[in-house]
Amino acid sequence: MLLIEADGKMLFAEHGIEVPAGVVVTDRVPPLPGDGPWMVKAQVPVSGRGKAGGIVRCGTRAEVEAAVAGMLDGRLNGHRIDACLVEAVAIGQERYLSVMVDPANYGLRVLYSAQGGVEIEQSSSARGSLCPPHPGAVAEALAELVSDEPDLWRDQIAAIGKTLGGVLLTHELALAEVNPLFVSASGCIAGDAKVVIDLNAIGRQPRIAAMVAARPALYVDAGRKIAEGFDYVELDPQGEIGLVTTGAGLSMMLIDELTARGARPLNFCDIRTGQMRGSPARLIRVLEWITARASLKAVLVNIFAGITDLAEFAGLLAAAIQASPALKVPVVARLVGRNAGEAKRILGTARPGMLVTEDLEEALARIDAIVGAAS
Amino acid sequence: MIGALSRTTPVIVQGITGRMGRSHAALMRSYGTNIVGGTSTRNDIAEAAGVPVFASCNEAVLATGAVASVAMAPPEETWVAVQEALAAGIKLIVTVAEGVPVHDAMRIGRAVRRAGATWVGASTPGLAVPGECKLGFLPDVCLKPGPIGIMSKSGTLSYEVGYRLAREGLGQSIWVGVGGDSVKGVRFADMLPVFFNDPRTKGIVLVGEVGGTEEEECAEVYVRLGRRKPLFALVAGREAKEGIAMGHAGALVHGESGTLAAKTRRLTEAGATVFSSIESLVGHCVRQFRFDRR
Repeated sequence: MLLIEADGKMLFAEHGIEVPAGVVVTDRVPPLPGDGPWMVKAQVPVSGRGKAGGIVRCGTRAEVEAAVAGMLDGRLNGHRIDACLVEAVAIGQERYLSVMVDPANYGLRVLYSAQGGVEIEQSSSARGSLCPPHPGAVAEALAELVSDEPDLWRDQIAAIGKTLGGVLLTHELALAEVNPLFVSASGCIAGDAKVVIDLNAIGRQPRIAAMVAARPALYVDAGRKIAEGFDYVELDPQGEIGLVTTGAGLSMMLIDELTARGARPLNFCDIRTGQMRGSPARLIRVLEWITARASLKAVLVNIFAGITDLAEFAGLLAAAIQASPALKVPVVARLVGRNAGEAKRILGTARPGMLVTEDLEEALARIDAIVGAAS
Repeated sequence: MIGALSRTTPVIVQGITGRMGRSHAALMRSYGTNIVGGTSTRNDIAEAAGVPVFASCNEAVLATGAVASVAMAPPEETWVAVQEALAAGIKLIVTVAEGVPVHDAMRIGRAVRRAGATWVGASTPGLAVPGECKLGFLPDVCLKPGPIGIMSKSGTLSYEVGYRLAREGLGQSIWVGVGGDSVKGVRFADMLPVFFNDPRTKGIVLVGEVGGTEEEECAEVYVRLGRRKPLFALVAGREAKEGIAMGHAGALVHGESGTLAAKTRRLTEAGATVFSSIESLVGHCVRQFRFDRR
């Protein structure tokens, strides 16, 4: 998962990498660092914020206030903007520097470019080097990559690279990127911070866990995963179809197929039926989140059970529906696997008229009909 | 190693006395896998799922001659389980746990590479040679011997694809769940030579997801190895939300990296056929292979 820039910078600063003085704004603009100019930056975990209007340069406090007001509560690439980072403008030449896990080689990849500030994928100037997962190896790899830089700042860049490698290994990150890194005679300063954390390591990474816990509104999806032990990601707050599904790949594919048909899925969900252990609690939670959206028109349950006993699942689903008075829209269930027939009987008794089928296409057609009729 | 698996390959289950270990060992045995034993930290149980329980992989391998292991260890204990298996001389290890930390996976990958072994996982239902054996918990209802080689990041999406193909009479030669993590054992590209050299395999189905560059690497190797068999791909996650992992730790899109568009373009340029729905992939495979059986 991507940290917001402000948290990435906080992490870098804690390890001695210089970052611009800044404040995170979620409501009214507090006193600002320095006399300006400032950058106002939307704190959402997406790339290309500049192009999408998520980064604005301001000369006066009034401009900062206007920029913040224009961003907060807006949306950028599917994410709601709940916070802005306002910071002093940094100056210098722009460089690109990153250290990341290289999955195919079980090592680290160090990337460096003398042309920073642009999307690195579009830059032909980036040079990379593979190395084993040790800070010393990162420093060695980087020394070669920055050999053309002037004496004035070459060693400083190398030191920052070594620190980034150390941060990545210490906190078990997948990526630590600075783009741009401002370099000048007076020093190097990280103009941006892109940090990809590993949620699977969060149990043994207290600093990262604290950062995620400190901003529940910004890390909603991650917070849910940590608290509940399964995945639920809201995709479209105006979505019409709530999904109760298991399996990440199948859930994603279902969302793609529904969207291609012109439908509006509300959420992604990997509920992990194998971990429910006889309790409808997870189903009740998901129904609670789904029914919180007024735009909801139907709920689609899709379970391909390799191992799970569907009769048991159907009992839990019936109990969860019973325990969810806010659920007022039709539920369609597509169930395949062990005891599908018995599951159909149980749900048919608990909720007469509910479509329970083994055929995904039939379930999707029913969803189309419900949403069409409701519109 | 994967291509040579059969009903005679001796396999152990690490963690066989746990809830998962016991039930999946029994299910694997009933499918036909030659489960010869298991390991457990409990010294009060001599037998589970009808096979002997050993205190360590070393003891199990010495007593049974096992060459493959299915590790039913929790994610944070997977690295230790793999070390134990490698030290015992295991040549193929399947780790099913979901949630293995990325930096543990790097350690596992480096150790497996040093040992010259093969690792499948993590976050996988395992693999199968239908009609011979399965290592893990791919559902029997989807398994059927046939001409299609399946490799998939997602368990459930591959079940759906395998089940619909099997229902249409098209079974599988070798089925490998490479798993949903970014740092993993066998990757899509590693499976191409296996499928190319396997005489049972007539076509390859790749079930991918957004995130990472595995599909792109596979496209490159597919061209380099001469496109010896047709490659059909289904990639999930067009509507994935940027910056957050979609269930699988590896399914993370940020910027241009890992997008469906990039993967589709690279696979298509390499000569693979990329589908946007399960139904269209299944329909195409059926048209191409069902009337071509000999």
